[in-house]
Amino acid sequence: MLEEPYRWVEAIRNRREYLEDQLAGASPVIACRYADGLLLLTTTPGPRKIFEAYNQIAFAGVGHPADIEKLRKSVIDIAHLEAFNLSARDVSLQRLVNFGVGPLMKAAFDEIFRSPFIARVMVAELDPTQERETFYTVDADGSFTGADSVAVIAGTPEVADAIRAHLSQDTADQPLKQALRSCVSAWGAGRLRGEAAAEELDEPTSAQITEAITSALESVHLEAAVLDRTLPTKTKFRLLDEPTLAAAADAATDVSGSGS
Amino acid sequence: MSSGGDWRTTPAAALTDGSDFLHLLKENGHSAPSTTSQHAGTIDTPTEGTTILAIRYREGVLVAGDRRATAGNVIVYDRAAKVLSVDDRSVMALSGSPASAYEIARLLEISFQHYRRTQLQELSLDGRLRTLSRLLRDNLPMAMQGIGAVVPIYATYEDGNPREGTEAGGKIFFYDVLGATFESVDFCTTGSGSPIIRGALYYQNRWEQPFVERDEAQALLLVLKMLETAAEFDTATGGFSATAAIYPQVMRVTRDGISDIDDETLAQTYRTANVSG
Repeated sequence: MLEEPYRWVEAIRNRREYLEDQLAGASPVIACRYADGLLLLTTTPGPRKIFEAYNQIAFAGVGHPADIEKLRKSVIDIAHLEAFNLSARDVSLQRLVNFGVGPLMKAAFDEIFRSPFIARVMVAELDPTQERETFYTVDADGSFTGADSVAVIAGTPEVADAIRAHLSQDTADQPLKQALRSCVSAWGAGRLRGEAAAEELDEPTSAQITEAITSALESVHLEAAVLDRTLPTKTKFRLLDEPTLAAAADAATDVSGSGS
Repeated sequence: MSSGGDWRTTPAAALTDGSDFLHLLKENGHSAPSTTSQHAGTIDTPTEGTTILAIRYREGVLVAGDRRATAGNVIVYDRAAKVLSVDDRSVMALSGSPASAYEIARLLEISFQHYRRTQLQELSLDGRLRTLSRLLRDNLPMAMQGIGAVVPIYATYEDGNPREGTEAGGKIFFYDVLGATFESVDFCTTGSGSPIIRGALYYQNRWEQPFVERDEAQALLLVLKMLETAAEFDTATGGFSATAAIYPQVMRVTRDGISDIDDETLAQTYRTANVSG
């Protein structure tokens, strides 16, 4: 039946709808710059979503945990093969995405008799050499976009837009604490937008955001990591510990003290 | 690009192959050292024109090597680095063929990184020792041809594990050409200069002061004196050169990780203790 072009297009459309449906509820991963490097933040009910891919490269994904694991493994494999064959400096986001994870996801998406990757992924590189992007996001169909200061992968484009709008202020010079608070707050704005998907929503007030964060953190917990250029080791990746995250959640929900 | 990352990889294959960087390399057609050889031969005394030395002192392990690289009676290079960092807590010191040695050190470093990142846990000490052993076995055909033999020392700092009854401290391991692993208790030395200083090390440790009781300054002084002694009697071991400011390479492996002992400290030690005088 799929020899007919119309059927094929229809099958692809169904597939796209299926993926959108599966991914709609995903908790977004937000990435931005801060004074010492890059910060990635999300929430999760359990499985980790933010990982180390190479010395200066982090990987994050939303979607099915098994698919995220497969993609993560591919990215790590490619990075280490590159590092072995050439050098650590030659491991770049552009090559990882353009020749690695992008085509991989596209191929899986196109094979309509098999399951596609139910995932959106993001890679981030600390201080890329030459004129390269700091972030790349890859959609479930393999299409990818570069970004320089903020990157978001979320359940729906609306949520991603709401988060980007909330994070419009440049965080590049902010200390970690402040950038964390901004990200948690942006996550709250995204959550509000996701819940109000059907109707039109005005710019949320900070009280609404605070409430959204507080109620959400009862069932999920924060997960965040940094690529920190001040670390003395080759590896710049560091998961943030529980007290730091708890403090960030408190700061973002403390309306009286925050002032903004 | 990589068939290891093929989205059709079966779970069983992903589990068995997933953690092994060497397997990944072979699968992708890259050159892990060849395992077949047309030339059956005998292993001559490996060309280990060098002196490598590791001792356990109070805070951990000091690993030192001279800087001379030789081919026969020709000095090829006088600033060779023979002590290489493998990860944040271990180093490898090499005597033998530089080409094989550097490749093995590189593979080791990337294998450990790859394991840690894919499996989300550190490779155990036994796992790391085994990986190096496998690499040496893979290198055997080269060694059989008499051109690629490598005899490494691996030094690391292990946090103690009360459940297994292990104490925290520095550890030194050495290998033979075939990949057998041995642990050294107090010190270890390999390379062409090693027979010259082995007896002196034994004497020092047994009758002067045990190395494990010495602090870093004392341990460093001992190591530099030993390298000078080796350089005095072995043409393939380079000594300290004041004119070119070439110092031996010394790394410390302690609870805080690994770090180079800088040239300033080395220069100071040479001056005050009159090692080269």
